[in-house]
Amino acid sequence: MLAYLIRRIFFGAFVLIGTSLITFVIAFMVPADPAVAMAGAKADPHTLATIRHQLHLDEPIYVQYGDYLARALHGDLGRSYIRRESVTHLIVSRFPATALLAVCAMALSLILGIAMGLVAAAYRDTAIDNSLLVASLAMVSMPVFWLGTMLLIAASALTRSIPLGGLAGWKSLILPTTTLALGSAGYYSRILHTNLCDAMEQEYVRTAIGKGLSRARAMMKHAMANALLPLVTLAGLDLAGLLSGVVLTETVFNWPGIGRLAYEAIFSLDIPLIMGTVLFSAFLIVIANLLVDLMYAYLDPRIRLEEIG
Amino acid sequence: MMMTVVIFAGCQQSSDNFGFPPSAMVLRLASNDDVPSLDPAAGYDTASWTFEQAIFDTLVRYGDADVELHPEVATSWESSADGSVFTFHLRNDVRFSNGRPVTAADFKFGIERVIDPATLSKGMEYYQGIAGAAEFAAHRKPHVDGIETPDPYTLIFRLSGPDPIFPHKLAMPFASAVPREVVEKWGEDFSRHVVGSGAFKLREWIGGQRIVLEKNPYYYVKGQPRLGGVVEQVGVNAELQWLKFESSEIDVLEAIPPSEFPYVMKTPALRALTLNKSTVTTEYLGMNCQMPPFDDVRVRQAFNCAIDKQKLIAVINGRGIMARGVLPPNLPGYDPDVRGYDYDPAKARALLEQAHFPHDPKLPLWFRADQTGEMLAESIQQDLALAGVSVALKPVAWGPLLEAIRQPKNVQFFMSAWEADFPDPENFLSVLLSRKQFGSNNDAFYTDPAVEALLGQAALVSDMKKRYAIYDQAQRIVIADAPWVFLIHPVQYVMRKPWVHDFIMNPMRPTRFEPISLSQPTGD
Amino acid sequence: MKARANAMEVIGAAMVASLVLVALLAPILAPHDPTRAVANSFGDPWPPSWRFPLGTDALGRDVLSRIIFGAQISLEVGIAAMAVTMTIGVAIGLSAGFFGGKVDFILMRFTDVMLTLPGLLLAMALVSVLGPSIRSILIVIGIVSWTSIARVVRAEALSMSQRDFVMAARTLGAPSPRLITRHVLPNVAPTIIVMAALGTSGTLLLDAALSFLGLGVPPPTPSWGRMIEEATIYFRVAPWLATFPGLAIFYAVLAFNLLGYGVLRQRAR
Repeated sequence: MLAYLIRRIFFGAFVLIGTSLITFVIAFMVPADPAVAMAGAKADPHTLATIRHQLHLDEPIYVQYGDYLARALHGDLGRSYIRRESVTHLIVSRFPATALLAVCAMALSLILGIAMGLVAAAYRDTAIDNSLLVASLAMVSMPVFWLGTMLLIAASALTRSIPLGGLAGWKSLILPTTTLALGSAGYYSRILHTNLCDAMEQEYVRTAIGKGLSRARAMMKHAMANALLPLVTLAGLDLAGLLSGVVLTETVFNWPGIGRLAYEAIFSLDIPLIMGTVLFSAFLIVIANLLVDLMYAYLDPRIRLEEIG
Repeated sequence: MMMTVVIFAGCQQSSDNFGFPPSAMVLRLASNDDVPSLDPAAGYDTASWTFEQAIFDTLVRYGDADVELHPEVATSWESSADGSVFTFHLRNDVRFSNGRPVTAADFKFGIERVIDPATLSKGMEYYQGIAGAAEFAAHRKPHVDGIETPDPYTLIFRLSGPDPIFPHKLAMPFASAVPREVVEKWGEDFSRHVVGSGAFKLREWIGGQRIVLEKNPYYYVKGQPRLGGVVEQVGVNAELQWLKFESSEIDVLEAIPPSEFPYVMKTPALRALTLNKSTVTTEYLGMNCQMPPFDDVRVRQAFNCAIDKQKLIAVINGRGIMARGVLPPNLPGYDPDVRGYDYDPAKARALLEQAHFPHDPKLPLWFRADQTGEMLAESIQQDLALAGVSVALKPVAWGPLLEAIRQPKNVQFFMSAWEADFPDPENFLSVLLSRKQFGSNNDAFYTDPAVEALLGQAALVSDMKKRYAIYDQAQRIVIADAPWVFLIHPVQYVMRKPWVHDFIMNPMRPTRFEPISLSQPTGD
Repeated sequence: MKARANAMEVIGAAMVASLVLVALLAPILAPHDPTRAVANSFGDPWPPSWRFPLGTDALGRDVLSRIIFGAQISLEVGIAAMAVTMTIGVAIGLSAGFFGGKVDFILMRFTDVMLTLPGLLLAMALVSVLGPSIRSILIVIGIVSWTSIARVVRAEALSMSQRDFVMAARTLGAPSPRLITRHVLPNVAPTIIVMAALGTSGTLLLDAALSFLGLGVPPPTPSWGRMIEEATIYFRVAPWLATFPGLAIFYAVLAFNLLGYGVLRQRAR
């Protein structure tokens, strides 16, 4: 078990380094001169050269990369060119807003998705199942930014009390959460539906039903646990994705989170901030993967027993 | 969890007057973007200057509604006959918000900080004309020799050449009095912990959420500021700001959403709440005179006739006036009689014919990537298509745009704008259209010997009337040569609640908080 | 059972066909030039009327015509991007599955790294670097989307390659490319086709998202995502402006989802 864990951690570290390498290469291709971004275009060449030297931009690329990596390991992701603030500080200050949205949206999408999937599976092959199938396909087909805008329009026409953007009290959570949750709910409902139906086909479940257990009870007692596990795993990985910022929703609702931070960074070609947000996102995904691996290792006896056997 | 506490804390604050006493007058504002910086050496945008001018003092400042120089910390000043030495006499009752008295040395420190390349200040160039600035910047000298402080309340500037408009450079927040000990304590994070001698001090700045200012107890002007504090929520988009203004959660609406604007102007009750100012800005399309097809003046004039400027103004809901020349109204030296180019698509096509303009070259139009820019660019693309010119839009970020257009023979066609730094035609004509600004601000790479001569002449003239006349001559030549398509001068509209008094718009600066008062306290 | 799955397939196919038709016949179907100002509605979009059934936008252009022409560009980008994605994904998946060993290890580690990178952010950054144009968007969408195809194809290629006859052929020295194209690929093909249909809905959404963020096909070409972005500032006075292009995207994405899902269900039975 321990050896497995250590292997997975090494793997995660490797992936992170690979990610940082790719990110660095892309950042290098960005057509913006950092010195100009910082000093303003009116600065003279001598000043620009000084700034470039201070930022180590005159050193060979692999030195710069090594530098960056070393500092990143200490949590220093550099300073934003445009905002002059530490990238780490910017990310940390915006994270709570995104986290709040992510957790609420995930909760709502799971509740909705599980409900839909359960009902569809329970009433399998009936009109209810069909309509839920179409509904979930529809939910998955809607562009998130359009759905958000439509909800904004509806809300503004119907009521004056829901804030239409920005983080401003719990009411402002309603619209962005719903926007985010609907798409995922559709997706999760299909997954649960498939897993539940598969689980219900299992030998031991059919035996239990044959012996007199009602379908409903069989579903809840036996099938659900097996069906939920992969779904929750998926949700966990998705949560990591959500936590790294949902650009589209945050843009539509002007949510002060990491997604919008990344969007602003990309548009102002603020290289350290772009790299910081991408790396942060990758970091979250690697951690989530590690946690999932841990959970599976714990649950799957084959891995636990690997050492002994 | 923590996040819930943060949200509820936010709600709590707004209902108990943001921590101010219930009777205090607190001006409530909102903005979309966070303030980039409060450090006077760093900030160079409207948002930063709005707060910097409240927190810091300069030697001189503009009036509430004009661009004349008024005393601030300096009670009086004189210049030498040739305009190369300026002496300022300071008040002795000005204090920083931490209680420490302000002296001439604090101004010297602030300005040297701007000149020091390590600060990366965008205001560096304005003070290069001070003798000794170059040596200081190169670290050959520990101080700028040209800034003298013979005693704590006298400040002398020796310039390396005559500059009649130098005092205007001291009215910019770059030249604020800055307490050395606070800067040294906070280093690069000074912006978040600023201490100045202005009417207000920084009480709280939660990144991405809000900035709160409160009265500076040591402010030297009795009776000012009348406000007890200012609160600006950030990260509030234009639509939400509108809603908050409607429900009286904020007192001033500085960014009226484009979609509400026609509605506001058609409703008398709402229109009465608006204030506007014509900005000292000219938006233009730069045409690189050194690159085909714009090396032919007929093509440049054709483009001027092909673009419907009134349509542009309609697209931005009337928030502008047509530009007929280089200088904007409100700038001293503006000539209301220049004609410019009216919309005349037939004339445009004729001129292009004459110049044998090649059909369909897919000309790229570079412009700053923001919403207004996109709309204007698309409208321009539409107009030029009708004249037989196909234009490809190329939105870029501001920094890369500036970089690109400054290189010679690089970008042919671009949208840009210039806002006056000081109220003088020199700031437009010499900075944007003279030969020595090639590779710097003269992005159209335009030069004309007659214009050069006139510009050189005018710069040294201290008699303003004569000065403006010479500049006007130069402007008329430029208009005929059309290195730019003169687009519009933006007009800025704001709305304010009836209980907000003395919110006065200034052509060149953000509105000052100092005179504002509210006739109902916000504690409700 | 069979009938129901057919319904989804059929409806999906019909919807896709309708899109293709609209795209092909755009110049005939659209009442106006989508880029010219045909109404004086500058800064003040007009609501739907007999003359302009879906209204006009803030630059005086007819919304209906723009949506019709938008189908052209959406399909072009959606399908071409899918082709790019498929090419990359299938190539990598096949190589990994067939050659196994070191090749598989390296390719899969590379896939893992790509999976860790945030897709939309990466796409945005790449388009910023390359500049928005049809070509760069195709490449970028391809780069961001190939991983899921690669994994599925790899799994199938792997199982295919373990088959006796394939292994026998290899030991006998048959050239690999021939083996892949002759035996592995044809068996993997049905999966690829289904994933292509489902994947096109993904590329359409990604393209719409990039357009919405200002990184899509540049104007004056009408693009549905961009139309929504331009409409957001008018959402109070002109809500139809944002509604119609979104409905178009929804219709297109749903079409491919129904088609793909329908075929998938059909095969599963």
